[in-house]
Amino acid sequence: MNRTLPVVLAAALALAGCSAKAKKVEKEEKAQRPETEFVHSIHVDQGIECKDCHAGIDKATSLAERHLPATDKCKECHDDKTAPKPAAIEPRVHFSHAKHLGQAAVKGKCDTCHKKLPEAGEPAWSPPMDICTSCHKHQTDFNEGRCRPCHVDLKGYFPERAYAHKGDWLRLHGPLARPSAESCAQCHDQTYCSQCHSPTTAAARPSIIFPEEVKRDFIHRGDYVSRHMIEAAQDPASCSRCHGKKYCESCHEQQNLTKLFSGSRVPATHEKAGWVNDRASGNFHGDAARRDVSSCAACHDQGADSVCVLCHQVGGSGGNPHPKTFLRKHDTDDRRNNTMCAACHHGT
Amino acid sequence: MRNITPVIALGLALFAGPTVRADTVDVTSTTLLTVGEQTRGGVPGEKPELVTVAPAYEILNIAARGVTNPIAKDLQLVVSTWGSYELADRRWDNGTGSDLTGDVMTGYLSGRLLGDALTLRLGRAHVMTGVARMIQLDGGEAIVTLPFGVRLSGYAGAPVSQRFGTRSGVRSWNPVAGDLAYGGRAAVFVPISGYAGRGLDVGASANFVEDGGDPVRQEVGADFRLQPLAKNLTLSGFGSYSLYDERFSEGNAAVSWTVQPRLHLTADWRFTAPDLFLARNSILSVFSTERRNDIGGGVRYELQHGLEVGADYHLAIEPGEDGDFYGHIVEASLDWERGHTSAGGEVFYRDQLENGYVGGRLFGRQDLGKLFAAADVLGYFFREQVNGEDYSISGTLTAGVELAKGFSAVIAGRAGMTPFLEQTYDVMAKLVYNQTYRIREVR
Repeated sequence: MNRTLPVVLAAALALAGCSAKAKKVEKEEKAQRPETEFVHSIHVDQGIECKDCHAGIDKATSLAERHLPATDKCKECHDDKTAPKPAAIEPRVHFSHAKHLGQAAVKGKCDTCHKKLPEAGEPAWSPPMDICTSCHKHQTDFNEGRCRPCHVDLKGYFPERAYAHKGDWLRLHGPLARPSAESCAQCHDQTYCSQCHSPTTAAARPSIIFPEEVKRDFIHRGDYVSRHMIEAAQDPASCSRCHGKKYCESCHEQQNLTKLFSGSRVPATHEKAGWVNDRASGNFHGDAARRDVSSCAACHDQGADSVCVLCHQVGGSGGNPHPKTFLRKHDTDDRRNNTMCAACHHGT
Repeated sequence: MRNITPVIALGLALFAGPTVRADTVDVTSTTLLTVGEQTRGGVPGEKPELVTVAPAYEILNIAARGVTNPIAKDLQLVVSTWGSYELADRRWDNGTGSDLTGDVMTGYLSGRLLGDALTLRLGRAHVMTGVARMIQLDGGEAIVTLPFGVRLSGYAGAPVSQRFGTRSGVRSWNPVAGDLAYGGRAAVFVPISGYAGRGLDVGASANFVEDGGDPVRQEVGADFRLQPLAKNLTLSGFGSYSLYDERFSEGNAAVSWTVQPRLHLTADWRFTAPDLFLARNSILSVFSTERRNDIGGGVRYELQHGLEVGADYHLAIEPGEDGDFYGHIVEASLDWERGHTSAGGEVFYRDQLENGYVGGRLFGRQDLGKLFAAADVLGYFFREQVNGEDYSISGTLTAGVELAKGFSAVIAGRAGMTPFLEQTYDVMAKLVYNQTYRIREVR
């Protein structure tokens, strides 16, 4: 092989080691969750009630109504203090303090939910969802993807616990989506899923369309052609879930891998001694088919025109190809009901 | 010919109507050109022909949510479609006999009716739940939510073939190899007090596929997901049984546990009968009763903020020449992210009956204001030679810029030395328009 490529690859590696711009990002993160300017603990320790400063909060029906104290309230005790003026917030949850403070379980106590109060220099802190679900039995709502009675939207939230996209997520996401796809649908439209799960209709592999997204776990990255037969042999079902056999055949035919008998490029096993009719050779095609018939199907699944029929039809030289357990479960009714059986069982 | 054109037309008409509007509309349009080489034909002992392929694509995604209408709540129109034209030779996966082609990846209308009790989805979509296994259908799915956590769902439609073809066409990529599919799932969720999501979800499902009346797939399955008392422990399982062949076709069980915020453990087992994934009316389906198992687990640990290491191992058991063959699949990874820089590396090892490989990947991305650059290098050394070669290495360099008003431009160059191409180069350029229009935020 001509080996002129290493220079290009070295450049790629050099690019991967670029330096960080950490400080800038830290500032941006702080801007998203601004630090609190007010010292709550001193005031609480003085026995000051929440509603002494947050007057009217017990009537608030939306989180947009913050009922923060004005400077006049501060000056009732502090001559030299002014009230902090935090930026306005856009409520992300439909929440009524008025309704909650009147509940028997809350009894007007703010610390039922506000178990921690933000202190000066700390990021703003809101009661986590666990606080809500300690009273509201939302497990079923969560499972059915009913988020919007409480959440305005889910933008900016990151999934937690089972859905945290942590660990071996590529392997886990299927089993978790299987019982409750509605949970996934809270954040992902099917356009997102179809980037990987629609190979029948996709324009191209996702790694071709999105080369810039190097962190995503795209399927079939890089030179997959050279390793597809290795991975397919270990787990043929993983191919069959997404690709019809004609998909494989489309390419194999163009690569001249499917012609019979002459002029075809065939897998090495087919050319070794014993492939056709010598079981003792250890290279017998029948044993290979028993182990991995999906590989055969990638080239030889042409229905009644398949090469297998030539020898294995009833009365043919290849004999009965069915595994031992096959005849126990399939009878003459199957032959009548399945047109493919008739390819070999003529008139039976 | 079954296709979803009428459904999409209805959806677009609804969307475009003067009194109808969507509260949120996400639009992504990608104009993309790739130029590269592919091999064709070849006879033993001779080099195959090399051809240049240069498909130009236009890819369009539209998701309109909260479309106001008098019938359904949260009516959504989701369309993901593309068209392409071959500027040079036809690429192998063109899927038709024409230079001009295209397809619809997703195109459905969905909404909630009867006070959220009924969710309907009509058009081209995936059915994910139960034994349906992400089947892509032109059809519909209905999900009914009943009291006490009971959910019933059902679907029916035509499995999707490429480029609006059908199973009866000359060549169909339809993975389930049928022209009619139907099935459903019945499930119950038993909540356990505590955080949202805790509980046991148990379901039973069925999936039937026919091809011209012939049975292609007849499966029933059962699944569960359990989040028990421990907050960060999740167990899930699935099993499916082929009624036609009276054998189990698939099974899996998985446990994921976040031991502490930085440490994630997983363990899983998977069983498949690959021959049962062939159509039951395939001539190849009568030759084999094979089974595959793999079992293993993995660990991810966040060493510090933005730096994570991980490793996975699976023992892969496949039929060997003389009894079972025990293979090994190992992966390890390191991901680092700080500020506008991210980088990582992965190593892979796979040892199987026929072949195996050891490989590695390095990648990185740097954002510089509106500019970004990324690199990705992937290499493999094969245990047994592939096409007479020992290894494959390929790399991609990408650069892009955010332009004004939701537009961005990306250019990428790929190069490689592979067992099938001594040297291969291709380039990709794309112009992307990505915009969200919010009339009223609904989700």
